[in-house]
Amino acid sequence: MKTTRRKFLKWSGVGALGAVVFGGCTIPERELLVQSPAQLPEDLVSGLEAWYATACGQCGAGEGVIVRVIEGRAIKIEGNPDHPVSRGKSMARCQAGVQALYNPTRLAGPMKLAGPRGSGQYQEVSWEEALAEVAEALGFQAPSSVVLMTEPLRGTLGMMAQRFMAAYGGQHIAYDALEQTTLQAAMKQVFGTDQLPDVDIEHSDYVLSFAADFLSSWLTPVRYNRGYGEFRQGGEARGTLVQVESRFSMTAANADQWVYVEPGREGEVALSIAYVLMAEHAGAINPAAVNAMTDGRGAPALQAFNPASVAQTSGVSAERIREMAKALADHPHSVVIGGGSAGATTNGLFNLAAIYALNHLIGSLGRSGGIIFNPPSPVADLPATAKVGSFEECQGLAERMRGGQVKLALVHSANPVYGLPASLGFAEALGQVEKVISFSSFMDETTAFADLILPDHVYLEAWGDDIPEPGPGYQVVTFQQPVVKPFLNTQSFGDSLLKIADKLGGNVKQALPWGSMKDALKATAQKLQALNRGSVQSPSFDAFWNTVLQRGGWWDIAHKGSKPPAPLPKLPTSRMEPRFEGPAEGDAFFLVPFASHTLGDGKGANLPWLQGIPDPLTTVAWQTWVEINRRKAMEEWDIKEGDELEITGPGGAIRALAYLHPGVSEGAICIPTGQGHTQYGDYEIGPDLFRNKVGTGRGDSVFAALAAAKVEGAGALAWAANRVRFRKTGRNIRVAKFEGPVYPDFHLIEEFVPVSKPGSSL
Amino acid sequence: MVSTPRERKWQMVVDVDRCTGCQACVVACQAENNIPFNSESHFKQGRTFSWIRIERYWEGEFPDVKARFLPFLCQHCDNAPCEPVCPVFATYHNNEGLNVQVYNRCVGTRFCQNNCPYHARFFNYWEPVWPVQMRNSLNPDVTVRGRGIMEKCTFCVQRIRRAELDAKRQEREVRDGDFQPACAQACPTSALVFGDVKDPQSRIHEGLANKRRFRLREELGTEPNVVYLSKVDSEAKEAAGHA
Repeated sequence: MKTTRRKFLKWSGVGALGAVVFGGCTIPERELLVQSPAQLPEDLVSGLEAWYATACGQCGAGEGVIVRVIEGRAIKIEGNPDHPVSRGKSMARCQAGVQALYNPTRLAGPMKLAGPRGSGQYQEVSWEEALAEVAEALGFQAPSSVVLMTEPLRGTLGMMAQRFMAAYGGQHIAYDALEQTTLQAAMKQVFGTDQLPDVDIEHSDYVLSFAADFLSSWLTPVRYNRGYGEFRQGGEARGTLVQVESRFSMTAANADQWVYVEPGREGEVALSIAYVLMAEHAGAINPAAVNAMTDGRGAPALQAFNPASVAQTSGVSAERIREMAKALADHPHSVVIGGGSAGATTNGLFNLAAIYALNHLIGSLGRSGGIIFNPPSPVADLPATAKVGSFEECQGLAERMRGGQVKLALVHSANPVYGLPASLGFAEALGQVEKVISFSSFMDETTAFADLILPDHVYLEAWGDDIPEPGPGYQVVTFQQPVVKPFLNTQSFGDSLLKIADKLGGNVKQALPWGSMKDALKATAQKLQALNRGSVQSPSFDAFWNTVLQRGGWWDIAHKGSKPPAPLPKLPTSRMEPRFEGPAEGDAFFLVPFASHTLGDGKGANLPWLQGIPDPLTTVAWQTWVEINRRKAMEEWDIKEGDELEITGPGGAIRALAYLHPGVSEGAICIPTGQGHTQYGDYEIGPDLFRNKVGTGRGDSVFAALAAAKVEGAGALAWAANRVRFRKTGRNIRVAKFEGPVYPDFHLIEEFVPVSKPGSSL
Repeated sequence: MVSTPRERKWQMVVDVDRCTGCQACVVACQAENNIPFNSESHFKQGRTFSWIRIERYWEGEFPDVKARFLPFLCQHCDNAPCEPVCPVFATYHNNEGLNVQVYNRCVGTRFCQNNCPYHARFFNYWEPVWPVQMRNSLNPDVTVRGRGIMEKCTFCVQRIRRAELDAKRQEREVRDGDFQPACAQACPTSALVFGDVKDPQSRIHEGLANKRRFRLREELGTEPNVVYLSKVDSEAKEAAGHA
């Protein structure tokens, strides 16, 4: 039988072979549109699929995912149903991992600067040459003048980076634009541990959250969303969520009650609640904790925080404070958490410490529905907590760079040039460094300074592991395996480190004795196997290794964390006033930046799915917007939606489009992070006439407006400690938003979508 | 050997009280169903593709403000207004309760879109394009729709089909939990539950029996197969109509 082109198309359209043939070569767009004219969509026969378990590398929570692979291509990411953190669930950011893998702007192979720095002119080099040059540079420079900047690392790669720099003698800084160092410092003060707290939301009946946007971006949103579903409708009684925050966040939108608080006053409100608990609900709280935390004085010690006086400064009424205290006392499984902007004013540590201290009073530490900590790492030298360099350390680094004390900077998956406030001048400081070597998968603002680039795999192509933090309260190691062959001529950062160690020899090689990242991971797996407990146990290493990879990790439900045995913290007896940078009073507004729901700290900005997802509240996509009070904007300021505003902060001026928001206070404006990249992949998507850029050239970054203010006692960036002014530039740009009057009558919710009263819920 | 498979009727329950508006379902759907990217101009023209979308409703003004989220998808109506108006039978109702779109029959009259009271149908005004590398992650089980074609939520018919074939191969019935549509699988709060109402073991019955149950625009008599459970709010104004 002669195979005509038509017959061939017909035949290949039915089977998955069609995808192989067409995916493999460049063909005109319309040839993808193959459907049998005879068969209906429900009659399609599908090809074979394979699912591989691995770790998610998108937001740093370290949860397990499974990836659907067909004919060697990663098609779809889902949560790993076995994994204790994700339990089969995933968020938008996890899903978008395949777009990082198949991103058209990935760096294709090692390359060397071929023009002046910043020119973007690079020439290809071989891996051998590139690695030799790194080793040579490391051998040539004094170790004290070398710095390695990475993203926060845990697990085997974290151990390797630490050992490498310890043996070599240089400095290792883990950089995170949305650092949790204040929260870590607060945990140290209140609970005596460095770990980040997990919250047993699903078993809680009352969650009081101070600015922790845990449903959107805080710590480990997949896990918290999963808990939230159960918290609402999983148990006998529906839990109550109260959000105290200066911004109407996604968590505030889902809360039963949103309580507006003036920025920086969250700690006062918490202490006022403590005062009411001690004075009015002494029977319902832990008397030993009251004694220890107030030196035996009880409520009078907190007299400065009586609700009437706190109400004056915080904007939270005394009645509300009493309500919250009563609710905490009345609910047997209540919990108090805090984070986000509450920890990002100059008194952020004071705020968070006061907030978490309430947990001692209501006894929620370690009990069902309370605060949980991970047990220590199952393998002694495998870090379970990422040591993150605070803003203060980055500032110190910038000083040393400016002083010429840093000669060589190695950068891996960290983008401090974008994420640090422009007022710090990190870009200019990095320019002073003799040689910059980047291990990034993408061109970004920091990699743009690189003299040599050794691009890393995307996590779906690489070996690795991670210890989720916050974890589920028992020991978990998530394993990461390559689910597809490397797409480009890249090499994983772990392998690059090992090969450099090989070339350096000596004690660096001794510290990193493995031949490859896979071998290093196997060594970790051997230690886990030797424990002979947990979800995977086997006398044969091969069987253990295969099962661990198949299930996506190893965990031991029986090995729970214990209550850290720390002395209880003393409650402060006087206030700590927040200080704000920028114009003092009058017409200045508090600037409340917030982590973008999809773009995070800007890492997701080069992925079209994440750019093209409407913000949950404003429904704006692709742009930087500024949320301003709707009523004032219409009645007094004469601002319409889409009016471009120039916002002048202490660090500089940025532009953003006005979004008239009913949930913003009259004295504050809110701007999301994530946009405003100048270097982050330059490609276009969309139909011919309406193509638009992804990654770069999209709005401004709020980091550019911030002052280099610090959280006292923690050294973190106080990103919510700015006052700003804004003015109209006179331009009006149409806001790219999802909401709109498609059918006007649809938006009369009262007539259309019923809402139930509690009690009718079950 | 199973001779005649059980009769099936697929339904979805959406618990609005669990939904946080996080958009995980939206991306999951785009990834699974080869939906073209929504560029900035798609948004500006109000022509975004979103087989499932999250509608957000504001209530009140600062400081007494509320936002409510409602996941919205094709309701797979038993009396679907989109079906009788199609001149070429591109949209029809199959025997499992799905409202199905046959892309190759569609001539792009957009009558169905006009007649859908839920705005669940999307028209391809442009040829879909992907950067060539990103074509690697297209789902080979799902046809890419060309310009001039109407498209909409299929309840992930390719997953239903795969589960049915797998079950047939193993000589058994499709069991509850064998598969989920992409949105329900991703949904981190488990607000979306999908199942076969003809299967007495299905988890969906728990939701269907809930007192908070309502359906969208029930007064139109479209008999949707998507059932909603209302949001619970102690501060809610007295709701009109149902609940």
